[in-house]
Amino acid sequence: MARVFRPGNLKEALHFLDAERAAVLAGGTDFMLKAGRYPGAEFAVLSIGHLHELKRIAIDAANVLSLGAVCTLSEILESPLVPLFLKLPIAEIGSPAIRNAATAGGNVCNASPAGDVLPMLYALDATLVLKSHGDQHEMQIRDFIQGPGLIRIAAGQMLTEIRIPLRQTWRCTWRKVGGRRANSVSKTSFYALIDRTSRGLGDVRIALGAIAPTVVRSREAERIILDAYRGKPSQRCTEIIALYDALISPIDDSRSCRDYRRTVSLGLLENFLTEVMRI
Amino acid sequence: MLEMKSISVPAGRLDFSEKMTGAAKFCQDLRPHGMFYAKTLRSSKPRAKIRAVRLPLLPDNVVIVDWRDVRGKNIVPIVTDDQPFFARDQVNYIGEPILVATGPNPDELRKIIDSIQVDYEELPAVLTIEEALSRTSDIIYGDHPWFVSYEYLKGDPDTAIHEAAISVEDEFHTGYQEQAYLEPQSMLAEQKDGVMTVRGSMQCPFYVEEALMQALGWERTRVRVIQLPTGGGFGGKEDYPSIPAVHAALAAIKTGRPVMLVYDRGEDIMCTTKRHPSCIRVKSHLDANNHIIAREIEVLSDAGAYCGLSGVVLQRMIYSVPGVYQVQNLRVSGRACATNKVPSGAFRGFGGPQAFFAIEMHMEHVAREIGVDPLLFRKTHFLRQGDLTATGGRLRSPVELEAITDSVCTLSDYYEKRSTPKEPGGKLRGIGFSAFFHGCGFTGADERDIISARVRLCKGEDETVNLYVSSAELGQGAITTLSKIAAETLDIPLSQVLCGYPDTGVCPNSGPTVASRTILVVGRLVQEAALKMKEHWDEAFCETESHFRYPGGFSFDKKLHTGDAYLEYAWGANVVEVEVDPITYSCNILGAWAAFDIGTPIDTTIAAGQVHGGMTQGLGYGCMEVLDMKAGRPLQCSLTDYMIPTSLDVCKIDFRFVQSESVLGPYGARGMGELTLVGAAPALAAAVENAIGKPVTQLPVTSEYIMELSRHG
Repeated sequence: MARVFRPGNLKEALHFLDAERAAVLAGGTDFMLKAGRYPGAEFAVLSIGHLHELKRIAIDAANVLSLGAVCTLSEILESPLVPLFLKLPIAEIGSPAIRNAATAGGNVCNASPAGDVLPMLYALDATLVLKSHGDQHEMQIRDFIQGPGLIRIAAGQMLTEIRIPLRQTWRCTWRKVGGRRANSVSKTSFYALIDRTSRGLGDVRIALGAIAPTVVRSREAERIILDAYRGKPSQRCTEIIALYDALISPIDDSRSCRDYRRTVSLGLLENFLTEVMRI
Repeated sequence: MLEMKSISVPAGRLDFSEKMTGAAKFCQDLRPHGMFYAKTLRSSKPRAKIRAVRLPLLPDNVVIVDWRDVRGKNIVPIVTDDQPFFARDQVNYIGEPILVATGPNPDELRKIIDSIQVDYEELPAVLTIEEALSRTSDIIYGDHPWFVSYEYLKGDPDTAIHEAAISVEDEFHTGYQEQAYLEPQSMLAEQKDGVMTVRGSMQCPFYVEEALMQALGWERTRVRVIQLPTGGGFGGKEDYPSIPAVHAALAAIKTGRPVMLVYDRGEDIMCTTKRHPSCIRVKSHLDANNHIIAREIEVLSDAGAYCGLSGVVLQRMIYSVPGVYQVQNLRVSGRACATNKVPSGAFRGFGGPQAFFAIEMHMEHVAREIGVDPLLFRKTHFLRQGDLTATGGRLRSPVELEAITDSVCTLSDYYEKRSTPKEPGGKLRGIGFSAFFHGCGFTGADERDIISARVRLCKGEDETVNLYVSSAELGQGAITTLSKIAAETLDIPLSQVLCGYPDTGVCPNSGPTVASRTILVVGRLVQEAALKMKEHWDEAFCETESHFRYPGGFSFDKKLHTGDAYLEYAWGANVVEVEVDPITYSCNILGAWAAFDIGTPIDTTIAAGQVHGGMTQGLGYGCMEVLDMKAGRPLQCSLTDYMIPTSLDVCKIDFRFVQSESVLGPYGARGMGELTLVGAAPALAAAVENAIGKPVTQLPVTSEYIMELSRHG
């Protein structure tokens, strides 16, 4: 049987976690499925989805967006503070019922290769705030997620906040490729940002989802794309695609096959490079 | 516009309110005092001898039920005597039941099931149709690799083939489809005063009763089966519920408790019947005037480990596969192959969806080969009233294929869209058409020989009329439509007719709720019983019955497959428009249109519900619903992995009814439940073919398949 602890506030929650190993539940749309596979299993659950302290959405003076870890996907979609380039991927996750329950922090900690919140957080260099009883750390998302379902979190630690540096000038390209148009786990996904101002192209970020154990992003490749855009003729589109091809390692599973995932992932990249970047 | 007949005017579903308010009690809502739960131990091997089953130390209140507890016959009574209720010394598919553990705590039962060790001696399994047919020894069923093999001839194909100017050949493959009903298999068995009462989710209460009598070895008077509100069936609750019903009943006898057996979703997908995968080869021979003079068709279906309904499904496949076309010379054969996989079974359409996919795509391919417009080509071969069918039966009722085709083409703007040239570089649009029929009722004379349906009407003093039938309400509106027929015939308000869920203790056997027979056959009997009652309406109490009579002039030879394969036919045509993304190869359905001749609709709103549901299920079959097997094990055992369409995946469906009256059905109605599913997948596949310019030869048309076609074609 599961023993469920429902703390009154964050302090109580961290105190509980300091004393006991527990599964942290925030939304539960993935957790409940996993728990259902082991009926009768003994485990402790710390339920934090109701904690108001973890539901804050705000932008600070440095233009960094803070998303409380237990903000539901619906709450994020409804917030006027959250820019469109963060809402696009979230709007395609699950169904209305899933989005009303699932949380951003839950999607991060579940660390699924197909988690649709993840590519944009990688692209935006999001930082995670990890709190424990009497302590606080910050960590880049790419350091936090180690592999499918594997996260770097110490005993007693809890994800409390996601911090995302914003730029007004970001323009995003997002494609989720699933078996159907709602309630589907991504076969592959593509997230890209460009920062194009009157002075030219300031930056480009590309994150590929569901084609490797973790989201694939390469700062080196992005620099080469920038160079290519700025007219260095030695770097051609096919070479850039080859760079990403070497980074991805898609799998065959019950939802699709590696060949399709690779072809479509690289196809979306090529389309972005030629149609959006015009390289 | 036809004036609507009064029977067609929507009356509102009689079961609507209890289901919308949540008042309806489904099986899992029931908790009789002292109830035990049950969980099933299933084979984890596709083919193996069972050397031993090792049980853990069991708590006092947990009881194991297996083949030793079957006092009657350990065989599911369905067509062929081959499938046991419990495996004894051999298992033949992954998911085959070995035993049931029953007790008060379902979590504890799961742990016990997980800790039981079965010693298997694995045997080489047959996992595909090709493997079955190529194996020369160690045949898994009898002495040949198939359960049934049929062949029939029409005309003189050999001579015609010899005279042909051109021949076109195709091979098609279709995959599994899971019924994905909302409510999984659920049964509650209770023994009281020597009578076993089983209530649950089912389509055919008298099949379940038969199974209980056979397994328990009890008389009919000691067995009672009651259908509960049922969350969908689609064929998946035709023959299968006999197994959980018997398991629950045996557990109830052994424990002296009410026992509830409910499958979880993964278990349900893994071990219950599904639509047959198929391989269909079609070869058409044409004369110099582009007219088809002969056809050879070979159908292979993957029946799984036990025969079940595979023979009957195969009959429908081979009678449907010539399509809606008049071809004078035919050679059609079919085999239902034995493999070590979950038995395939009944699913809305019952062999029709595979058959019409093959023939409709083939008609497209032949038309392209000879450079003729595919619709025009079809029209020159359409069946007409008075024609003989593939099996030589007479089409007695009107056949309005031209009107149906024109209706759906106007509705969808088919010609305009089909002739629009493709824009290079952009998304690829395509539009496709299909024409099809569904034979209503049981095959041949089986309504007489196997079912022999009866219905009963009783009028009480208060002038309410009780309608007794065994037709199950599955959400398709059976209770409402049958009550409407009684009310209309008796000329009394609908509220004066009372019809409950079928109960074998009370209702006569009007047959199973399958084969698009409920309106055509049972509805007709209700009308006849009501007409008899009308003559005695002034009497204080009145009870009338009506029995099925095989209509005069009909005949069918089961061995030769000649004569009237079905009592009546319903007809339809679909158009589907798609857009294929050239980067992701995903197929977006832009529009779906239909015209159906179901004769007179008995309630246009209920009929519209059948159209929307059937076409959606057909579109899912066409492009989305993937169920793969790996080493005999289904890979998509959840509704996350086994994908059915969501509301975002289905466009608006626009349709018309072309009403020509059936000579047999009540108020001129034909059948419709299955017809609505049959044509969607071929129209969709034809649309994809039109979009990408490569021949589509398999279902489902997934993005992965479109990618493969786009590359190699």
